Amino acid sequence: MLHYDVFVNSLADLPEGQEVRLAIRDLAPGTHKYCYSNVTALVSPDAQKYEYGLLVRFGRGQIHPAPYSIKILQQVERIPERWR
Amino acid sequence: MTLVFKDNREFMKALAAAGELVTIEQEVDWDLEAGAIVRKVCEEKGPSPLMNKIKDYPGHRYLGAPIATYRKLAITMGMDPDSSIPQIAAEYVKRTNQQPIKPVLVDKKQAPCKENIITGKDVDLFSLPAPMVHDGDGGRYLSTWHFVTTKDPDNGDVNWGMYRQMCYDSKTMTGPLLPFSDGGKVFHGKYRPRGLAMPFATVIGPDPLSAIAACAPSPIPEPEYTGMLMGKPVELVKCETVDLEVPAHAEIVIEGEILPDVFLEEAPFGEYTGYRTSPRDLRTVYRVKAITYRNDPITTISNMGVPTDEGQLLRSFSLCLEMDTLLRSQGIPITGAFMWPESTHHLVVIGVKTIYSNIAAQIAQLVFGSKLGPWFHMVVVVDDQTDIYNYNEVIHALTTKCHPKKGIHIYEGAGTPLYPFLNFEERLKMAGPKVLFDCTFPIDWDPLSEVPRLVSFKTVYPQEIQEKVLANWEKYGFKAR
Ligand SMILES: Cc1cc2nc3c(=O)[nH]c(=O)nc-3n(C[C@H](O)[C@H](O)[C@H](O)COP(=O)(O)O)c2cc1C
Repeated sequence: MLHYDVFVNSLADLPEGQEVRLAIRDLAPGTHKYCYSNVTALVSPDAQKYEYGLLVRFGRGQIHPAPYSIKILQQVERIPERWR
Repeated sequence: MTLVFKDNREFMKALAAAGELVTIEQEVDWDLEAGAIVRKVCEEKGPSPLMNKIKDYPGHRYLGAPIATYRKLAITMGMDPDSSIPQIAAEYVKRTNQQPIKPVLVDKKQAPCKENIITGKDVDLFSLPAPMVHDGDGGRYLSTWHFVTTKDPDNGDVNWGMYRQMCYDSKTMTGPLLPFSDGGKVFHGKYRPRGLAMPFATVIGPDPLSAIAACAPSPIPEPEYTGMLMGKPVELVKCETVDLEVPAHAEIVIEGEILPDVFLEEAPFGEYTGYRTSPRDLRTVYRVKAITYRNDPITTISNMGVPTDEGQLLRSFSLCLEMDTLLRSQGIPITGAFMWPESTHHLVVIGVKTIYSNIAAQIAQLVFGSKLGPWFHMVVVVDDQTDIYNYNEVIHALTTKCHPKKGIHIYEGAGTPLYPFLNFEERLKMAGPKVLFDCTFPIDWDPLSEVPRLVSFKTVYPQEIQEKVLANWEKYGFKAR
């Protein structure tokens, strides 16, 4: 099952097993589908490796045919405290 | 007295009366289905869909493709739906050349947009049915037929601009507030250098003439421009959390501030060029503090893509009328300016009486160098014998009068990241290559020996022969014209 998706310029933006910072979208059905969150995560082209399925999209929205998997390490807040 | 719609609810009644509204009672999914309906309507130039039941969002409704045809534009203006384009243009020019009409402020109790007010921690953008307009978009675009109002911090000048907005998270939207837009100039030129957040209010589902004013490139402040289009003041009401005013009869209002020093991902998005072009990039961040809305609110959806959508139709319409005003103000003897919406407002045809050499170059330099310049890149100048609204005549002039070596002139100018023909680097730099097609015969050609003679019924037969043929047309056996 696909839980999140991510936009990348190329697959090089998703190095396997290295901690990466990503803006991912929630794909859970319902009102908050496509809500963004910013995370640090581990990703893999092996769709089974981590607990959540990750759909990969390229810059103009095209879908990469083989889904990845993702392990979310931490939520990252990109809006500084003074504006929240 | 002109027929004026104070809100989309009145406007929809007029659309329905003209056979230009389809009411959909079955449930429609906000995730692509609504977008697909609106897209098909745009491509078929069909009636506007009113969708009364939206999945996950009871009580909310959608109005799609509100003004994507000239018929609907005529209805918006309170005119006969079958008015011709020149008739609509003449009426528009007449209204927008009168004295500006200032808006009036009404009390909150008279403002339906205050029927529901949400502030503080309860604010959640995802409580609104922002549609996923196209498969592959970078997010759900709440603002596709709307405007964003802001104020100049120094002189208090108000701007309404139609700048798209994508829902990022519950309290954040992102979008391209391009630096050459009026709102962009104030944000990038005044608020950002001072480290100040710019208060904004986004108006979703404004009345149709306010929406037209917001996407028109006129220098007149949009609230007054709306008054000119309406022939009476537009009614505004004060916002809850920011020092701004919004149309009292709008469907949904989102208030907040644009952050001066934070930029987040936006795009891709299906755009008015008919492609998804502009790179996904870090763009302007709108932080939301309040949402107010009418009961049973109607979110408007414009679906950008291949022609014809609102952006193509109305921007073509208002861009070329603004060019018309500019060229006439410079004393250039033009017959008019016209853009086919199918050109996605990239090509303008300008007719002129060729009273001196290089008049086409002067026209091109003026319009390319104006505030309007970034939005188009092809100027076709024809003489006053060519009907600028007649596609057959224009294509004939282009292919017969434009000298491939002497009649095509290339210029550098300002562009946008949305041009599909630019490479990636050029899009990021907003490059704006431009071209002029001069379709006028040089004025120093000898009219007797050098200027080719146009061979048409009207130009090569004596008047009496033309009249005889026309008088006998049906007797010859042809159908009445
Ligand atoms: C549906 C639609 C979406 C638009 N989106 C944007 C946008 O995201 N950013 C932008 O700078 N202009 C956008 N435009 C163009 C502006 O609305 C247009 O330039 C308008 O004249 C802006 O007002 P201004 O002259 O006050 O800047 C859009 C136009 C339409 C019709």
